[in-house]
Amino acid sequence: MVQNRGYIPKSRQREKPREGLKYIGKSMKRVEDPRILTGKGVYADDISFPEMAHVAIVKSSHAHARIKRIDTSKAEKLPGVLAVLTGAQAAEICGPLPTWSSPPVFQRVIAHERVRHVGEAVAAVCAESRYIAEDACDLIEVEYEPLPVVVDPEEALNSRGDAVLHPEHGNTNLILESKFDFGPVKEDFAAADHVVKRRLRWPRSGGTPMETNGATAVWDEGSQRFTIHVNSSMYNFVGWMIADTLKIPHHKLNIVPTLAGGSFGAKLFLYKQPVMAAIFAKIVGRPVKYLEDRMEASLTNDAHASDRVYYAELACKKDGTFLSFRQRIIDDYGAYFQYGVGQHGNALAQVVGPYKINSVGVHVQAVLTNKNQQGAYRGFGSEVANFVIERMVDAAAEELKIDFLEIRRRNFIQPDQFPYLIPTGNMYDSGDYEKVLDETLKILDYKGWQKKVAEMRKAGRYVGIGIATTHERSVFSSTEFWMWNLDGKIGWTSSPDSMSIKIDPRGRIYGTLHSPFWGNSPETVATQVIAEQFQVDPSNIEITYSDTDKGLHSTGPGGSRFTVMVTGAIVGAAAILKKKIYKIAAHMLEANPDDMEMRDGHVSVKGAPQKKVSLQDLAFHAYYMRLSMPDPEDPDLTSGLDATYVYDHPVTTLPDPKREHMGIFYPIMGHMCHSMVVEVDPETGQFTFLDYACVHDSGVMINPMTLEGHMRGGVVNGIGSATSEHYYYDKNGQPTNTLLTDYLLPSISEAPANMKCGHVETPSPFTEYGIKGGGEGGRMGTPPALAQAIEDALRPLGVKITELPLTQKRIRQLVREAQTKRAAD
Amino acid sequence: MKPAPFRYVRARSVDDAVAALARDSEAKVLAGGQSLIAMMNVRAAKPDCLVDINALSGLDYIKVKDGGLAIGALTRHETVKRSALVKEHCPLLAEAYEWIAHRAVRNRGTFGGNLCHADPASENPAVALVTEASFVLKSAKGERTVAAGDFFKGVYQTAARQDELLIEVRIPSRPKGQGWGFVEVSPRKGDFAMTATVVTLELAGSNVKAAKIALTGVSDRAIRLPSVEAALAGKPATEDLFRAAGEAARKAINPSSDFHADDAMRRDLASTLTRRALTAAKSRCA
Amino acid sequence: MNKEKITVTVNGRKHEKEVEPRRLLSDFIREDLRLTGTHVGCEHGVCGTCTVLVNGKSQRSCLTFAVMADGAEIQTIEGLGTAEKMHPLQQGFWEKHGLQCGFCTPGMLMTAVELLKENPNPSVDEVREALSGNLCRCTGYQTIVESIQRGAEIMRGGK
Repeated sequence: MVQNRGYIPKSRQREKPREGLKYIGKSMKRVEDPRILTGKGVYADDISFPEMAHVAIVKSSHAHARIKRIDTSKAEKLPGVLAVLTGAQAAEICGPLPTWSSPPVFQRVIAHERVRHVGEAVAAVCAESRYIAEDACDLIEVEYEPLPVVVDPEEALNSRGDAVLHPEHGNTNLILESKFDFGPVKEDFAAADHVVKRRLRWPRSGGTPMETNGATAVWDEGSQRFTIHVNSSMYNFVGWMIADTLKIPHHKLNIVPTLAGGSFGAKLFLYKQPVMAAIFAKIVGRPVKYLEDRMEASLTNDAHASDRVYYAELACKKDGTFLSFRQRIIDDYGAYFQYGVGQHGNALAQVVGPYKINSVGVHVQAVLTNKNQQGAYRGFGSEVANFVIERMVDAAAEELKIDFLEIRRRNFIQPDQFPYLIPTGNMYDSGDYEKVLDETLKILDYKGWQKKVAEMRKAGRYVGIGIATTHERSVFSSTEFWMWNLDGKIGWTSSPDSMSIKIDPRGRIYGTLHSPFWGNSPETVATQVIAEQFQVDPSNIEITYSDTDKGLHSTGPGGSRFTVMVTGAIVGAAAILKKKIYKIAAHMLEANPDDMEMRDGHVSVKGAPQKKVSLQDLAFHAYYMRLSMPDPEDPDLTSGLDATYVYDHPVTTLPDPKREHMGIFYPIMGHMCHSMVVEVDPETGQFTFLDYACVHDSGVMINPMTLEGHMRGGVVNGIGSATSEHYYYDKNGQPTNTLLTDYLLPSISEAPANMKCGHVETPSPFTEYGIKGGGEGGRMGTPPALAQAIEDALRPLGVKITELPLTQKRIRQLVREAQTKRAAD
Repeated sequence: MKPAPFRYVRARSVDDAVAALARDSEAKVLAGGQSLIAMMNVRAAKPDCLVDINALSGLDYIKVKDGGLAIGALTRHETVKRSALVKEHCPLLAEAYEWIAHRAVRNRGTFGGNLCHADPASENPAVALVTEASFVLKSAKGERTVAAGDFFKGVYQTAARQDELLIEVRIPSRPKGQGWGFVEVSPRKGDFAMTATVVTLELAGSNVKAAKIALTGVSDRAIRLPSVEAALAGKPATEDLFRAAGEAARKAINPSSDFHADDAMRRDLASTLTRRALTAAKSRCA
Repeated sequence: MNKEKITVTVNGRKHEKEVEPRRLLSDFIREDLRLTGTHVGCEHGVCGTCTVLVNGKSQRSCLTFAVMADGAEIQTIEGLGTAEKMHPLQQGFWEKHGLQCGFCTPGMLMTAVELLKENPNPSVDEVREALSGNLCRCTGYQTIVESIQRGAEIMRGGK
């Protein structure tokens, strides 16, 4: 069903935001922690079976080449080697890996005939130990016929012939090009007094969790089934796609989640490790583990992130009013295209940031190059859009000579304008951007810093302040993927999450999550919401995770959706259970079911709390006293106490078939303001934080402590993306930093020592309790603020920042160029 | 990322170790292993045979001998970093340790192993050059002493022959009144240097009597800058002079480019850090 | 492949095993002794995740061959406390949200054990210096510092 632009579905919110909640909103210690803190958490590499064998891969040393010959004979003869596979052999056993690109760009678990980036597997060995497997890899001889290498994204637009990575998609590496005008872009630009133009560059980084990807597969000959233990998400959403690759019936595969040692998007959906482990498990008839090593994690983990060139234009009035925002984007996707340009659909959810902008023009050119392909990383492309709009706003302020905070205030969408539809069709559910900004300025002591900075500058120091006011769209519905399917096929329109709740005969509550732990706090969130729903002490609640055998439709964490979605699922399941509980209690207490409430582990009569039955007694009754129930015919009153609920997206609509708008697809709109004071050493290119303050509005908070964890952790991810992290390939397509000695994750010495966090709570009118997502945290806000702070510090030199990462080398280069120019002038 | 197989010899004494090295021309010394094992894990190094010297006693010491420090080659970094003797006799070395690695690596890595590894971006080789340290090498054939200036030969290359074991490093004590400076820029704290400048400075009145300057991270090994040193001698020790020395350092080097720093960056750093190191050294001349 | 016989005491328990010389101490602890609380992050000594105490001193178990630990006393995260009776540092990390995914946490804890042994009341700067070689991708580090200071406080007898 296609809805008109402007149609907003009715809210399904059952639990209104309110005062007096007992468990929601409290900084409860995490229930995940005791086992993790004592070394008893089970991560991917902690899975072990007797007789387990190990896989290692031969990595391509070429960026682009035809595989002419592979000789595995020496490897096969090495004692301890159980099996060796080439790409050709693997292609006979299994199909291409899952992909969402349309049309599909196929990737294989082991490259077949052609390698498209350094590090791509060209052969794999299964052996008694990882040591022996690597020894055998060293014995495999591969002869390559080099092909032209494509590295620069803008040059990739012109690739022809042998330089084309996937010729079956035409004689080009421009794998997808889309142009949309949302609203009267031309007219708005014609009406502008001033157009700000910039070329901006966002570099290739990656989530790079401390734990790499890994899977252990067990093949059961008797039942002809695979069981795969993996640190992936989305297995209860699309895990069946792995069965397709393995060419087995879907019910012959069970995927069991392990804890994930961080993801940040990098483990959104893992397929290489499960497939590789599974094919060998069947061949050798033993459990097989394939754990990515650190080098593979940077070379071939399918999780590099946005690598974009922007040509952006912001049309303004003289008074600083924004009219229209137009951008051409070239995005370097690497060698494959697993999620299509999903990262650009994502960015269009909040492309105008917190500002009123009447129209938006977008021209996306997705190119393929000889690099590890893009996947997801904290922001999924929206963090780039935040950087771009904020850099443009700062540039507009400078060119129009308006204070950079004032120009923001003038253009902010106002609290009385929600729900607010932006030109792309997405809706912002609620917000109060001035309040977030004001709170940030207060926490930072902006006025105090302004004075101090002025004094420090007089003393010859290079000190600057940066502030960014950015969005964190949360709770995706996946409908935006449809926008890019130019073959006209409809995209997916439902990305639900589910919950199963069982109350046992003694009143203890079991919650089963259908999504994994990937470094967030799913057990804690579920515990707090269940405790609130049933008014029981959290110590009576146990949370576990389902595998795919028992799993319900669940998208899992990602896009800051988990807390909102699982809360919706819990509320739904609890409603079913409470209906039954109240019926039974009413019978036991000789009262009306409508008068029941949960209170302190009991069900009691509203207004008469002494009339009560404990949940424990009630549960016993529900399990064993079916024949004592009031109405033996009541179909709701089956024995036991359990319920499941699949919670669909709280508010989403379909895109327009003529692609005039994208519908509502990412509407639960968080907001944040990040501010910092930095001092730059222009002679060495180093900088230090003198202060850092940030305020987030993630709606109603379930657990402020864990939310602040995301804020601060995201800040340090953002510092990495903005200053030190860069998956860089030289002109031959050779990666220059495959190890953590050179891919520079911020250490504690690069992190601000005291990040001050604040909160504003603008409830969502659409989600349970008014919660919004907050998992992507500071990475959505830090980069533009930091760019502004460094630019501000170097203002006396006239340095302009248009490109990240701001490494010491780049800062020094900018200063050197500015000084040279000044000397020449 | 697992190391390739190798033959393993656990040496129980220095004689045991040098005998093992003499016996097997492919043998290499395994000291703390903090650089070597990392390289072996990525199979950038695949030694056929390792002679593990960690079990041998008698090479873990810091003492004062013949007007200088004598540091046993197997002394762990953390021991050197904390040594009161080092602070007293070679405060420059103590200061360099503010920049070297991290605690767990310093607990294990050895002073001698680090010097023998001869990483071109490592700090201690530059300290050894400026302090004019000497290296005592022992083989089954006997002992010899090599001056720091002759010890470092290139990336991971030293004057030590395959059959030789570094047993001691001798560092002359700081002459009274000599100032010192150590300034580094690295990608992150504890990382190898992009560039570091190490200087000592002696004054005669307000003029420079003698300056020694070494840089790390700008060549295939740590290097001294004799021409820059010579140009300082006898001149008034002013900020202008140090600035000029920095500019001379910029021109005296021929650095290579890598991902973290290009030629221009390293020249800029050489200039700035030389000036800053000299300034720091001057403030410590007493 | 030749194997070497080694004797190591891990968390107070003595083990005699034969190992290949190239076997990394991290693999020995995790696979041969099945103490999987010690995690391996980077496998080349940069991230600090695999840090254990060898004879009381922090050490990267991925940069040590098991043969080099012959005769040593090793302590891993399993040797601290249990979920029922946590070590004060574990308690501190729990209270102050010093972990999210928890993967780097074993290395953080073992590094902190060494720090507090030498300095029972470390300042923020001292904790930051001690943790400079341990990477965490989740927390932004600030709560780890608070956790260690909290652990120190409990160890000093605070509540």
